[in-house]
Amino acid sequence: MISLRDFSFTYDGSPQPALSKVNLEIAAGEFVVIAGPSGCGKTTLALAIAGVLCQQYNCKTDGKISVQGADVLRAPVYETAQRVGLVQQNPELQFCTLTVLDEVAFGLENRCVPREIIEQRVIEALERVNALHLLGRELASLSGGEKQRVAIASVIATQPPVLIFDEPTSNLDPAATRTIFRVVEGIREQGELTVIVIEHKLAFLRPFFPRLIELEHGRIVADETMSLQPLTAPLTTGRCSPQTTSKEPIVTVQDLCVQIDGREILSDISLEIHAGDVISVMGRNGSGKTTFLQCLIGLVRTKRGMVFVAGHDASETPVSTLARAAGYVFQNPDHQLFANSVWEEATLAPKNFGAFDASTDKRTVTLLERAGLMERVEDHPYRLSFGQKRRLNMVSILSYQPVVLLLDEILIGQDPANARFLLDNLCGAAGEGAAVLLVNHHPDLTTEYANRILFLEEGRLRVDAPISEGLGQLARLGYHAFLPYAMHPSPPSETQG
Amino acid sequence: MHLRYMPGASALHQLHPLVKFGWLLFLSVLVFALRNPVAAVIILAAAISLFAAGRLPLRSVAGMRTALAASLFLAALQIFFVQDGEPLFHLWSRAVTTSGLSSGIRIGGRFLAIILLSYAFVLTTSPNDLSFAMMQAGIPYRYGFALVTALRLVPIFQQEAATVYKAQLARGFRYDQRNLNGIIDLPRRFLLPMLVSSLGRVDYLSVSMESRSFGMLPKRTYLRTIPFQRRDGFALAALIAATVAALAAPWITSMQS
Repeated sequence: MISLRDFSFTYDGSPQPALSKVNLEIAAGEFVVIAGPSGCGKTTLALAIAGVLCQQYNCKTDGKISVQGADVLRAPVYETAQRVGLVQQNPELQFCTLTVLDEVAFGLENRCVPREIIEQRVIEALERVNALHLLGRELASLSGGEKQRVAIASVIATQPPVLIFDEPTSNLDPAATRTIFRVVEGIREQGELTVIVIEHKLAFLRPFFPRLIELEHGRIVADETMSLQPLTAPLTTGRCSPQTTSKEPIVTVQDLCVQIDGREILSDISLEIHAGDVISVMGRNGSGKTTFLQCLIGLVRTKRGMVFVAGHDASETPVSTLARAAGYVFQNPDHQLFANSVWEEATLAPKNFGAFDASTDKRTVTLLERAGLMERVEDHPYRLSFGQKRRLNMVSILSYQPVVLLLDEILIGQDPANARFLLDNLCGAAGEGAAVLLVNHHPDLTTEYANRILFLEEGRLRVDAPISEGLGQLARLGYHAFLPYAMHPSPPSETQG
Repeated sequence: MHLRYMPGASALHQLHPLVKFGWLLFLSVLVFALRNPVAAVIILAAAISLFAAGRLPLRSVAGMRTALAASLFLAALQIFFVQDGEPLFHLWSRAVTTSGLSSGIRIGGRFLAIILLSYAFVLTTSPNDLSFAMMQAGIPYRYGFALVTALRLVPIFQQEAATVYKAQLARGFRYDQRNLNGIIDLPRRFLLPMLVSSLGRVDYLSVSMESRSFGMLPKRTYLRTIPFQRRDGFALAALIAATVAALAAPWITSMQS
């Protein structure tokens, strides 16, 4: 079905090839998972098989890729599109129309399929992703999981024999993630399709026994059938166990309510946070996690209630003042790089606060060294890889030692090694007396580090407890997808999310 | 309230977008072509009645007060500074004359009429339907989709711009305090992140569109059809008749004189 022969590819201006001498045969009907650390060439491989790589970038390739015997490196994209469907990471950004109907019909319309047939195929495609009820909706009104299901429908509507999913769940909460993978497996089984999934979250895919291919530095390093064996990995907690030192809380939240455009986003939240707390903040997409985090640095105005952060009333203090006490890392690294060099970027905030001295200088150097960025200090931040940008975001907050660290889904798209690096640094900051709030969808990783869990449900705080007790509460509430894998009651395919 | 499409079920909402656009164009040209202040008042009255027909809230639309104030200002300028013609009465030692009054009404009325007509069009026409109607009327679909994808990306860019601003505050840039320090660098610090992320967005979207066969054939089919109903036919016929009449009128009048 798909065959790669000695395929190599180098991005323009890059010294190293993104893929080198990749040989791969995928048979019709196979379910293949491609994994590997950030920057290992997974996405490049997906784009290459989908035939869009050479159209997008100046093409320096070697070797051959054929799908159903056709050379996808030479064929126009629209021709390869009849053989290979591609679902990308972020559903929001791959939509080109405004409504579910237009989006799912898009590919068929481009091929001049008659209206009556389009109508029928749109309905079929939405049925296969369990989203027929969304037919009349506008895309902007959908949740993250619903959007990704519509994105999948818009690709399968044209019925390509090969489907590629490039980290289809990286922006989704665990419950939606589970639903998406079940949908993917369902599509594959029913349609006898060849499916390639690029993914970090292997735990969710294990129940389907896919073929697992691991990439590293652009080469295939492992190729085997995934087994259920590692399922029994023991649950680890307490990897980071700083002392909650002070009696006085650093953050006090009382009866917090927030309304945005007339809709209540947060209701009646009360809690206290102490120095040394490492808190995992979880909940479904849209449950109010980001809004809550932004309240703590004054970026969101409260409707009712009080928020005190390090002695400041968050509703009356300008953000740029409160920021001295509360460091915030946003979701997308590209939205928060403002300087012309890595060094300037790392020291930007302390200089803005007038707090840059010899000890800050020394700490920044240490942090950059640990992040492996010291050789890159002269480089422009936008020249870094995704993972490196993320580390730089972290360094530029840690450099001035804020007492509260607010981190919004910083683990998205990070491979386990990079994620651990970030978490170890947070743990270190907590050891020095900071309080850490980490919004995340990665219970497997964060359970090891956190001492406390907050779980939001439609703007209300459903769980606020020490980590093991909190996980127990989540299990009782039926939120199994939000538990670390070792705590899943049975293979996820048999339980409800 | 922002100036954007407000879904509704009025006749104005249901009129075919292109026919509606044709009328907008016709009336806008007409209000400029006619030099009689009465014509400006009539077209202005027609525009106001369109708001009633579309069940649109005249007052709550953003910019309406500014538009009204601007048109009164324009009218006042004419009334005060055009001094030829018959003086009617005096105001602050300046004569208000017949021609001043007439050109004040004409220019102020024109301005307001054009604004109201455009508002009525924007408020009752889904931009999405307009683009699809244009494509189905024969405009190359690449241009049509340029419009549709822009509609799709604008809110995303707005959101990203807000995030970039927030991220700068969170890093201690004191835009939220009366402090000019660093404000000079604001555009540069703002544009680069926006540029990088929007280039990425456009790349991403083009992969998504091309890998669904966009651009494969010179034509494409459409599941969403913008129906052309009987009343659209009448409205179009009326538009053609009105255009012919408007074009013929100067001939007729000039032949008579």
